[in-house]
Amino acid sequence: MPKRKLDPLPSAAFQILLSLAGEDLHGYGIMRQVAEQTDGRMRLGPGTLYSSIQTLLEEKFIEEVDRREDAKLGQERRRYYRLTSTGRKLARSEAERLADLLRHARAKKILRGDYV
Amino acid sequence: MSEKIYALLLRLFPSHFREAYGEESLQLFRDRARDERGFFPGVRLWLDLLSDLVWSVPREYFHMQPALIGASAYRRLNGLPLFFILGDESPRLGALLLGSACSLAAVGTISVLISHVGSYRPFRPWTNQPQHTASARLSAFKSPATHAVGNAGEKTTASGSPMNSAGSLSSGDAARSDTQSNAILIVDDSESSRPQTPPSGAQNAVAATNRVVNGDATLDASERHRVIVGAIVTLKEHYVYPDLAQKMASALLAREKNGEDDKVTEGRAFAALLTRQMREVSPDKHLEMVYSQDPLPQHPTEPTAEELARYREAMEKQNCTFEKVEILPSNIGYLKLNSFPDPSVCRQTATAAMASVNHADAIIFDLRDNRGGEPEMVALLASYLFDHPEYWYNPRENTTQKSWTRSPVPGNRLADKPVYGLTSARTFSGAEQFCYDLKMLKRATLIGETTGGGAHSGVFHRIDDHFGMGIPETKPINPFSKTDWAETGVEPNVKVKAADALETAVKLARSRLPKK
Repeated sequence: MPKRKLDPLPSAAFQILLSLAGEDLHGYGIMRQVAEQTDGRMRLGPGTLYSSIQTLLEEKFIEEVDRREDAKLGQERRRYYRLTSTGRKLARSEAERLADLLRHARAKKILRGDYV
Repeated sequence: MSEKIYALLLRLFPSHFREAYGEESLQLFRDRARDERGFFPGVRLWLDLLSDLVWSVPREYFHMQPALIGASAYRRLNGLPLFFILGDESPRLGALLLGSACSLAAVGTISVLISHVGSYRPFRPWTNQPQHTASARLSAFKSPATHAVGNAGEKTTASGSPMNSAGSLSSGDAARSDTQSNAILIVDDSESSRPQTPPSGAQNAVAATNRVVNGDATLDASERHRVIVGAIVTLKEHYVYPDLAQKMASALLAREKNGEDDKVTEGRAFAALLTRQMREVSPDKHLEMVYSQDPLPQHPTEPTAEELARYREAMEKQNCTFEKVEILPSNIGYLKLNSFPDPSVCRQTATAAMASVNHADAIIFDLRDNRGGEPEMVALLASYLFDHPEYWYNPRENTTQKSWTRSPVPGNRLADKPVYGLTSARTFSGAEQFCYDLKMLKRATLIGETTGGGAHSGVFHRIDDHFGMGIPETKPINPFSKTDWAETGVEPNVKVKAADALETAVKLARSRLPKK
């Protein structure tokens, strides 16, 4: 039975790692943050969101922190997630890979603009 | 309405996903439905959800872990069989060859084992668990007088040492000993205080480094220092809060340097002093230094095949401590359960007991003589009382994905039936967890007396032949309140004498049942 792989890093997993770079978030918080950072292009459904979270937890790229309420969303206690140091490294290497790709695209004049 | 539809759609996911994230998914749906009102946002929400289902459901089945498949199929085999079809491709040639080679190797190994049956050592199902758990569980049956269903007194077991040396453990805190293994199992005080023969595993450790005089060690400065260093190493390695462990280490050394330990030459008193010094930094009642008159063994004794067989036999004789399983008048199910035994031995009995009260209109768990047992059995029985996975708080274990009941149980009809729990001052440990969680979840009415108050979460670590430490290694999340039942016990909803609890419960259950 194949185990879920993070190599290459799926887009949803990368977006989740990015969303947690600033602060600890619960599931809905992650979904909103991802929607915001992709200008609404990616709205993670529960299946994609939590299966990605599960994989990232298994690989220790994120960790669960204390269950607590989100005052803005009512009194339900929610699981919060936090980016681990290895998760941060993974996000950084993925960002560098994308930046590299972008440099090549610009070198080939597929994309205009300054080099990053 | 829309939430119900989505809840139904969630059932398309495999059970392991629903158990882990079913409630979270529903919560996310509620959040989005609340924030995205109106026709178009509503349509977009449903389009998102449906496309998510189309992609996620097959992926979840495809990526399902073998262990989870096994667990899922196992549960359903009790009711209707359910089989997952995991692939429609023929196996590759390489896979077939590898499978054949593995099968041949397995057959060969079994043949060799059968031919050397005299030297075969059986596999123990709990070898992955901390050794103290197995020791605690089985040594409760080493002597007929020591049993899970103990009588008065509630001292607990030292997990790293076998029970027979735990008999002479003396807590640093003279009032009580909080040290306990993860297995919620209790020995009698009466038994603990008996003189015991040294454990076989301790033979090598009899060369005690401390001088034992009149049942207690006399310690000089170097011996005290060695114990303190041992305590510091153990704290740093195992204590759940590393920063506090560091502070405690500094405090212990500072106190020693100031000469505060100089006057204490008795092992027992020194253990008490160190306990106090540690708790001044970290007021944690599960943290303690323990002194043992008898040498602590180097390695906890593992249960032998004979002990395992004896445990199994004892459970069979006692019907896995299900003393009574009956249907009382007015169709009230009644279970008198005197411990929570190991599911690896008693799962079938427990399942059968629950099946025999499955059609009751109310259910009474009589836990007045229940002194605890295995957390897995506590959670197993609780699973029958819910129609969805419910967070199941256990103060001895870290919160994980397993901290949920395995509800719903296929074919079960008790999930919405009134539940009553009968308690006494003897109700203890795992039985208190059962009562506490059900009370906090408002799933049961507790009737009787306040329970014993045993929620220890320390794990025992040996420092030397005579000193060891109880250290909490877990940081579980208690969603219900800041404290649990440790020392205070669980208060019943209806306070009556334990002897009157059953009668009161039956009356209450009858009065609440719909008139037919």
